[in-house]
Amino acid sequence: MISEKNTVKRIGNQLLFTGPTLLAFIAVIIVPFIYGIYMTFFKWDGISSSMPYVGFNNYEAVFNDTKFWTSVWLTIKYVAASVFLINTVAFLLAYLVTMGIRGQNFFRTAFFSPNLIGGLVLGFIWQFMFNNFFTSIGEKFGWELFSKTWLGNETMAFWALVLVTVWQYAGYMMVIFIAGLMSVPKDILEAATIDGTSGWKQLIHMVLPLMVPSFIVTIFLSLQRGFMVYDVNYALTGGGPFGSTVMASMHVYDKAFQRFDYGVGQAEAFVLFFIVATVTIVQVYLTKRMEVEA
Amino acid sequence: MKKLSSLMLVLILALVVSACGGNNANNASNANEGTNASTNTGSDSDAKEVKITILNSKSEIHTQMTNAAETFSKAHPNIKVEVISTNQDQSPVEKASALYASGTPATLAMLDAGDIEKFADKALDLSGEKWVAELAQPNEINGKTLAFPFAVEGYGLIYNKEVLDEVAGGAFDPATINTTSALEELLQKIEAAGKTPLYIGSMDWSLGNHFLAIAYAAQPDTDVKGFLEQLKGGSADLVNNATYQGLLDTFDVLKKYNGGKNDPMAVNYEQSTAAVATGSAAITFNGNWLITELLKSNPEGEYGFIPVPVSNDPATKANSAVAIGATKQMFIDNEKSTEEQQAAAKQFLNWLVYEDAGQQFLVNEANVIPAFKNITLELNGSLAVAINEYNLAGNSIEFAGNFVPGDHWKVLGASMQKYLADVTDRNGLAAEIEDYWKSVQ
Repeated sequence: MISEKNTVKRIGNQLLFTGPTLLAFIAVIIVPFIYGIYMTFFKWDGISSSMPYVGFNNYEAVFNDTKFWTSVWLTIKYVAASVFLINTVAFLLAYLVTMGIRGQNFFRTAFFSPNLIGGLVLGFIWQFMFNNFFTSIGEKFGWELFSKTWLGNETMAFWALVLVTVWQYAGYMMVIFIAGLMSVPKDILEAATIDGTSGWKQLIHMVLPLMVPSFIVTIFLSLQRGFMVYDVNYALTGGGPFGSTVMASMHVYDKAFQRFDYGVGQAEAFVLFFIVATVTIVQVYLTKRMEVEA
Repeated sequence: MKKLSSLMLVLILALVVSACGGNNANNASNANEGTNASTNTGSDSDAKEVKITILNSKSEIHTQMTNAAETFSKAHPNIKVEVISTNQDQSPVEKASALYASGTPATLAMLDAGDIEKFADKALDLSGEKWVAELAQPNEINGKTLAFPFAVEGYGLIYNKEVLDEVAGGAFDPATINTTSALEELLQKIEAAGKTPLYIGSMDWSLGNHFLAIAYAAQPDTDVKGFLEQLKGGSADLVNNATYQGLLDTFDVLKKYNGGKNDPMAVNYEQSTAAVATGSAAITFNGNWLITELLKSNPEGEYGFIPVPVSNDPATKANSAVAIGATKQMFIDNEKSTEEQQAAAKQFLNWLVYEDAGQQFLVNEANVIPAFKNITLELNGSLAVAINEYNLAGNSIEFAGNFVPGDHWKVLGASMQKYLADVTDRNGLAAEIEDYWKSVQ
């Protein structure tokens, strides 16, 4: 089978196995993607029957849209903060629940469960927490930090978003880290213990380097999800207060579906795609080089 | 083996071809639907069955609308009416354009007034309809009546009658509040009486598309469209615009007496409404749609409207007028719908305007203020009655939110929130408004 002589036969076999998936992939990813790029060269409100060609005008509009670049910069800050916190918290949680403490399976489930709640619902739950729960606690104990709703203040609303994101994804990344921790060979750790290496040194010099493949995955996932965030942004702050927490995706959505400027919206979406693709490719490339073998 | 794989290849190719062709076949069957329907019912020679769909964008009246459709179908057995409603947070345009994109537009689509223009080339010209003569205000786009005004709505300062009667020591007359200083005196009196004078809801749609829009509608020497053209062209100078400054003077007064001024962004729709309904606060800024929410907290309450003053001159028209407009409009699709469907849709609109059951539905089920002079049913709820009085007396300015782009409420609503929370000053706000309008093509 493997050494096919006949090319037609070989292609036939390949099509048999990859064809259906390929077809679905083309239909739902490639075609919309290319059509999206095609749309960036036209001016369209989504309804009108005429769709005039405008060349690169939409891209020019993107570069002149200061609000878009503000939202991209805000997204980058948000991604930086949330990627760092998600991975730190997730790793600590994973480390804790693999130490063999009592009821660790329960904790694993508990930490993972926020991820089972959809972003929208989660946003609304936390909106209530920030607006009502925290403020009443702040009132009761006179804590300055919680005296006013976090969502009414530009800086705190940003951190509220980061906090909720970390809460949502830390458990998910924890599961990946647990798998990584489990696959660290026990024999070398045992050997290190016999040689008198402390737990801390084992963690820094042995466990962490061996966990790089897990970090590649978790950083990639949290980067990509951070850049594309919409649901939590929408449900928790709605871009407010005063439009200060409009992330890039929300800006693109508003451009296309509130302003009905599909061309510019698509162009901005493409620019955003380009940024995310560049950042994640660079990240994967750089972290791949840090991989070691036991 | 060779045979098998080439067979598979053929199969897959066939699959690809049929998948590509499937779309066309679908379209064709859609286009034929009308003809199919007529051949099916051809045996039943008297009445051809027509099926029309209504896209309802007032999601809160979905049940009532479905019931009305049933009542209508009972009176017209050959017409089947299906009602589709948008979700609470879904933009009606999004839904309508999705229906167009899938080749199955609604025969009758209800949209926000400002969006009808986008569908102008798809809408059936209704200028020849009988009800056009009954309109309280003309409803034309480029000289043609393209849409049926479904609901008239208005907004201003909503007050609790009981509270203000008590403060005024007799029946309170909203016409006495026709300047900013008169409003301030009133607010002082309420405060002296130990009540919270008012709550300003911090909702961006309310501040942006309703409050700020008064500045567009109350311009003394131009109408809304004219002023918006000036803003787009960059020739409107807000810093030196008396109406804009006057409106913000009023806003400053409102801010001063705002019950939530310590944390103004925390005042939401439900909270401001509940405070007025229970009488713990006297006034809030909102529209006649608030009645449902008000009645939830206090089914016995009576409410009225005070206009938002924009100057200290009692003669200024806007000082004694509330903003009123037909905010929900329905148009008949002229692209995919058959003539029979269009005729049936027209019949439904006539039913709403002229038949008792239709009028009952509009006024008592859907609780809207109809745009037609011939409907004399007593309106439901004190706010609707108040708006209707202002409307019939000619004391109205335009509902300028009907003429602004779809993201106006969000972008300039955010700017108004900044001003509400003292994050920006008047000139900063003016600059943001001017920048926004210059970005609109």
